[in-house]
Amino acid sequence: MSSPIHSPQGNWWIAGVSVLEKTWIRISVVWCLLLFASMIVWASYGKQNQAGPTYRVSTTEFMQKVQAFKKAGTQTEDGIIPADEHIYVAAARFSFDGFPVVLQAGKQYQVHMSSYDVQHGLSVRPEHALSKQMSLQLLPGYEWVLPMKFDEPGVYHVVCNEFCGVGHRTMHGSFIVRR
Amino acid sequence: MIKELFTNDYGPDGFRTCSVTGMRIDRTAENFVKVFGLTAVVALVVGGISAILVVLTRWEVVGLLGPADFYNWLSVHAWNLLIFWMVFMEVAILYVGGPMVLGRKLPAPKLAMVGYVLMLGAAIGINWALMTTSAPDHAPVLTSYAPLPSSEWFYLGAIVFILGTVIAALPFFAAIWQEKVENPNRSLPLVAFGAFITAIIAVEALLGGLITYIPTYMWRIGLLEHIDAAWYRQMYWIVGHGSQQINLAAMITVWYFLTHVVGGAEVVSEKVSRSAFILYLFFINMGAAHHLMADPALAASWKVWNTSYAAYGAVLASMIHAFAIPAGLEAGRRKRGAGKSLFGWLWSSPWSNPVFSAVIFSIILFGFMGGITGVLMGQMQLNLAWHNTWATVGHFHATVVLGTTMTFMGLVFFVIQTMFRKELIMAPLAKIQPWFYSGFMALTTLMMMYLGILYGIPRRHASVMNIPGTDFNFAAAEPLFVVFGIAALLAIAGGILFALISVGSLLFGNRLDPSTVFRPTHSWQGDGSPVHLQSMRGTFAFTLIFLAVFVIAYVLNWYLLSRLWEIG
Ligand SMILES: [Cu+2]
Repeated sequence: MSSPIHSPQGNWWIAGVSVLEKTWIRISVVWCLLLFASMIVWASYGKQNQAGPTYRVSTTEFMQKVQAFKKAGTQTEDGIIPADEHIYVAAARFSFDGFPVVLQAGKQYQVHMSSYDVQHGLSVRPEHALSKQMSLQLLPGYEWVLPMKFDEPGVYHVVCNEFCGVGHRTMHGSFIVRR
Repeated sequence: MIKELFTNDYGPDGFRTCSVTGMRIDRTAENFVKVFGLTAVVALVVGGISAILVVLTRWEVVGLLGPADFYNWLSVHAWNLLIFWMVFMEVAILYVGGPMVLGRKLPAPKLAMVGYVLMLGAAIGINWALMTTSAPDHAPVLTSYAPLPSSEWFYLGAIVFILGTVIAALPFFAAIWQEKVENPNRSLPLVAFGAFITAIIAVEALLGGLITYIPTYMWRIGLLEHIDAAWYRQMYWIVGHGSQQINLAAMITVWYFLTHVVGGAEVVSEKVSRSAFILYLFFINMGAAHHLMADPALAASWKVWNTSYAAYGAVLASMIHAFAIPAGLEAGRRKRGAGKSLFGWLWSSPWSNPVFSAVIFSIILFGFMGGITGVLMGQMQLNLAWHNTWATVGHFHATVVLGTTMTFMGLVFFVIQTMFRKELIMAPLAKIQPWFYSGFMALTTLMMMYLGILYGIPRRHASVMNIPGTDFNFAAAEPLFVVFGIAALLAIAGGILFALISVGSLLFGNRLDPSTVFRPTHSWQGDGSPVHLQSMRGTFAFTLIFLAVFVIAYVLNWYLLSRLWEIG
């Protein structure tokens, strides 16, 4: 009997392996390679890749960038219309700075993101379809630049989904996407 | 009464022979297994009580706690169930997989005692720090992400707990060492080998913990000026995910052990199963990278490499075990004529034994719910939709609760009967406990996954139906929250049942000869034909169903992602 609580007898390395077990291992290897390949393929052809440059930045520097962004943009009742394709948003306990921003559908923007204090999350979804959602991590000291292009007009709500203190749940911002 | 729990009929050399497994058991090793196991159950109870508070807060129809209390109790829930319940059990498992399986004395029992005292002291200290956290400190939840400061006693407790665990593991390594010195040409039994791999992974994880918590503690008490958030995340996940890899490796070792002892499973290929453990040794650490997929400061190539090519060494290992363990049960039972048809070997298994049903449900639910979701969220782009949503919490409830906790509950029932030698009280309820608990817990977990992926419900929120300062809320998800709340409360009832049966049996159970409950393993004989030539077609069918579910879930997740706006 081959028991897991006794030392195996003889040379167990050369003992036979069931045909079905070998088949399953081959299937598994192929599946793992497919999993690997899909990420590579999506990185080239897919439209959702959280890849973009990161820069070291101090809190003061990034605060100045957000202030400059707000000043250069046009203030409206709904939010800031950015002056160019660069958007600066920051999370802080317990609010977002730079939001709400008013964007044009179908136009690509460079979203610069960071935190003024601790780790935060940037979790975004359109009001009309909660299942179309995604989340990013924001870290103090790092400015992350990700291109984004919203095709569907609507209000995209932003909440913080990294625990940042007792008031964490109250953080809210929005992208307002217009035609 | 307490003394009675630690008595057994040992011979003059301090050993006894277990009537079920035939193992030669050293008195000291057995007593330490009992002490660590009992402490683990206490942590399970504390974590379970906090689960009630957490569930009744997140189910906002009740909305029990305010945010500050909620985060404190969420931290208590995390540390007791993800760390203390698991790690105390795992030290017990090392002492079973090392000295007991090898029939040796527990070396250096004083170290085991020092380790235990440090772990216990740290666990009490951390619990106290978590329950009394108040401004300017913040609840650490599990991750204590710097630079959000938590109580300095919390960081100190984490350091001491890690040191205690390393010390408690030393007697296990010494037993393996002694065995290899005395019998250099004898392979370790598979269970001892699995425990050995688990212990190495554990030491790696624990060293990562010291690298994380010592500088963080120094920062907290003012000795270091600055702590970098990205550095913290990368270091923290060595222990944060590493500790869960200990759970995985320990759980799989226990699967081999209990399917054999309770169901008559055999090892269908020593080569394949051991190679899979070796794959864990080299690749499972890479799993930690999937926590950093939505982070700045890391290149896409770093993310893809670490979560794919490298981590799939471990995914492959898990898929191999997913075949090898049920196949062992199938082949072992077929050999003795237990069930001829495709699944006859399974239906004829001892389902009324809660040790058996707990292990089988754990294998199935871990694989279908925990394993698949782990791979999904570990894909760089898919992680966008999973990161920090409640679906992530669903994933690790599938691995740690449906998988490891279910397995460890089965193991506790086994230890109560074979080591404490107590009959389980409330036998009819004990029989259904694994069915009840795993059923409702699986539903709870599924709801968390749906709520996270389909509604984007964030994790670690005291309320999502009402977000102060805005009209926006997640009220559309309310119906699923109702299912979540009811299922979670019923699952907790199943957990309470486990605690009542365990503690009640220890206190009031009749003295038991375990060979009347478990069929002694030396009677697992059969026709003597080589086990790898037995049919494994039932297992193959199961694994194909598993693969089909995997593929469907995979395609659905990419479809959901493809509907998003353009990012990157
Ligand atoms: Cu926040």
